[in-house]
Amino acid sequence: MTDVHAPQSQPESAAAEDDAARSFALDQTGTAEGGSGRTSPPPAANAGWLRWGWRQLTSMRTALVLLFLLALGSIPGSVLPQQGNDAGAVQQYYASHPSLAPFLNHLGLFNVFAAPWFAAIYLLLFASLVGCVVPRTFRLVGAARTPPPRAPRNLVRLPHSATYNSALSPDAAVAGAAAILGGQRFRLRRSASDAKDHWVSAEKGYLRELGNLLFHLSLLGVLLSIAAGGLFGYKADKLLVEGQSFSDTVSALDEFHPGRLVSGDDLAPFSVTLNKFTANYLDTGESRGQPSNFDADVSYTSSPGAKPGTYHIRINDPLSVDSLKVYLIGHGYAPEFKVIGADGKVAYEEATPFIPANTGTFESDGVVKAADASLGFMGVFEPTMFSANGTLTSIFPAADAPAVSLIGYYGNLGMNNGIPQSVYQLDTSGMTKLSGSPHLLTPGQTWKLPNGKGSITFVGVKQWTSLAITYDPGQVPALVCGILALAGLLLSFFVRRRRVFVRAVPAASGTGSVVTIGGLTRSDASGGFEEEFAELAAEIASAEPGNKSEPGA
Amino acid sequence: MFKAKRRTVVTVTAVAAVLLGGALAATLLTSGKNNANASGNTVQYQAGQRPLVPNLTGKSLTGTSISLSSYRGKVVVLNFWGSWCSPCRDEASLFAGLSQQYAPKGVVFLGDDVGDTPANALAFTSSQGITYPSFNDPGYAVVAQISQVVPVHDTPTTVVIDKTGHVVGTIIGAANYSELTTLLREAAVTQ
Repeated sequence: MTDVHAPQSQPESAAAEDDAARSFALDQTGTAEGGSGRTSPPPAANAGWLRWGWRQLTSMRTALVLLFLLALGSIPGSVLPQQGNDAGAVQQYYASHPSLAPFLNHLGLFNVFAAPWFAAIYLLLFASLVGCVVPRTFRLVGAARTPPPRAPRNLVRLPHSATYNSALSPDAAVAGAAAILGGQRFRLRRSASDAKDHWVSAEKGYLRELGNLLFHLSLLGVLLSIAAGGLFGYKADKLLVEGQSFSDTVSALDEFHPGRLVSGDDLAPFSVTLNKFTANYLDTGESRGQPSNFDADVSYTSSPGAKPGTYHIRINDPLSVDSLKVYLIGHGYAPEFKVIGADGKVAYEEATPFIPANTGTFESDGVVKAADASLGFMGVFEPTMFSANGTLTSIFPAADAPAVSLIGYYGNLGMNNGIPQSVYQLDTSGMTKLSGSPHLLTPGQTWKLPNGKGSITFVGVKQWTSLAITYDPGQVPALVCGILALAGLLLSFFVRRRRVFVRAVPAASGTGSVVTIGGLTRSDASGGFEEEFAELAAEIASAEPGNKSEPGA
Repeated sequence: MFKAKRRTVVTVTAVAAVLLGGALAATLLTSGKNNANASGNTVQYQAGQRPLVPNLTGKSLTGTSISLSSYRGKVVVLNFWGSWCSPCRDEASLFAGLSQQYAPKGVVFLGDDVGDTPANALAFTSSQGITYPSFNDPGYAVVAQISQVVPVHDTPTTVVIDKTGHVVGTIIGAANYSELTTLLREAAVTQ
């Protein structure tokens, strides 16, 4: 006969629960010092203030607030242009918001992730987590070594309890129950075999604390991984015309944004050659002109003299070489020009990248600088030229009917004064215009410049791609730590710490014993302990000959 | 009581170690190498600690082969330049003049034309009166070779190499007469 009792709420059960719940305090997600973000006023002494400050810093509440601040602080990094990613966009923002931009800059909002206030949040969060995790580790180890507490005197007062009469002696009845609990991987503690009191305590669910610890350690790992990416990683951009190659050196790169501890000497010594770039566009329907495919056919070597490989870089399909990735982030046209100077010698022969002014039609702007012939040209390239009412435009992004419109200049390009110039801008302040109106050229055509200044030939069209080179050593560890953090969180949510106690006393009749089973769980958010306890009690009772499980209310 | 104190000490030590360790690592990793003296845009390597330049090889602007090892026994001034680069154009006349002046003293000048086309480069050397050869290095391959031993992070950069093939010093950015002749003197004195 077994009586199973539902959870009780009598006040008198409190004492028994307190006893049985000893060291369940480990379950509480609290502070490093075992509290839970206590906000009691600080003691007056200096050491007391320090202790209070330390507790505040390492409390879960502070960690959550810091995490929230970290997320909040990252928002401007996504909303506002960032110096590291797009310095041009920052300049543009300055131009369009002349009064607001300096204020935002003063707050470091154009370089959020390098701002001192962001670093302060980050470091405080880090200190908070370390201060939280280290004591938890000690306590987990301590808990792992500590056997379950002694069985409370009155098990009926526990939230879950069951009683049955046994034909066995108290010692044998408890031994049978212990065998069943041990078989279910409970950790056991038994009364001495010669004691008057016969009981067994069993505990299960240590994975919950392990999950909790895993979550905290993984969160630290995520922060460390992000820090490693920021310190040891780098980002770079390179514009490459078909047929051109580059080696990964600082001077070859158009943009180079190293991590705090990265120098130009740390770059991976790979090289990439762009063999061909293909862009396909939809040519019918409402989406006519929309891109349908990009493909950069490249050859690469991981180091000078290494065996070359080939790869097709596509959107979201980067080239992986030397632990870094090369992404395709942009493309455009590079009309080829040949400029002959007044002396009849070739002064310029190059495929010149033009920058798209309209990404729908790929009408693009660029300049040609033949400084040694004192010639310069500003050009507009139309991939598919269309002339309407004397206005030249492009009606399709593919180079189906390419043409370039040029304005020629003669004079000093200002390139010999030692001041670096943009290759996309022509300084015409020391030059004179060669003609009043733009000159239109299609591939193969030559413009003979007036007054014997030479000529320019539009040889043909190549394409260029913009490649982003990224090295982030923290990316994979951050992903792994993120997954582990999630796993730890799930463990701590779904695993219950629960204790089961069995006590047997001699029956009043003089033969056999009365066995009482008590159960307790501190955290049962996902439910289910009541059923588990009932099944366990029934199993213990039914394991004994002559007894049947009778779950009841 | 004792255990609790010990745990607190360990925790505080762990946090302090993380923060201080990070700061220390940052300091150590960012501190420069001590085998070179930097002054302005010139870096000079101390005798005995000069990096050995690998044998740089490539094609010239006119398609002939160039090998740095063929210049062993002479002081070499290796200039990284491009016709598109304003500071390179600014220093070109200095190099053209010094290459003539120092030729009888066993100093050879060699260029490395980066990110350029041969046509543009030859138009430039012709207009500047530069007669010494240059590597045709549109993809910065020669830069990658020498970067294994000495950083060439800017264009222009000038590297002075002694007769044994070791780097005497580098000039980052446009070189002037004083900087270049100082390195050449150093190359001659400590050769």
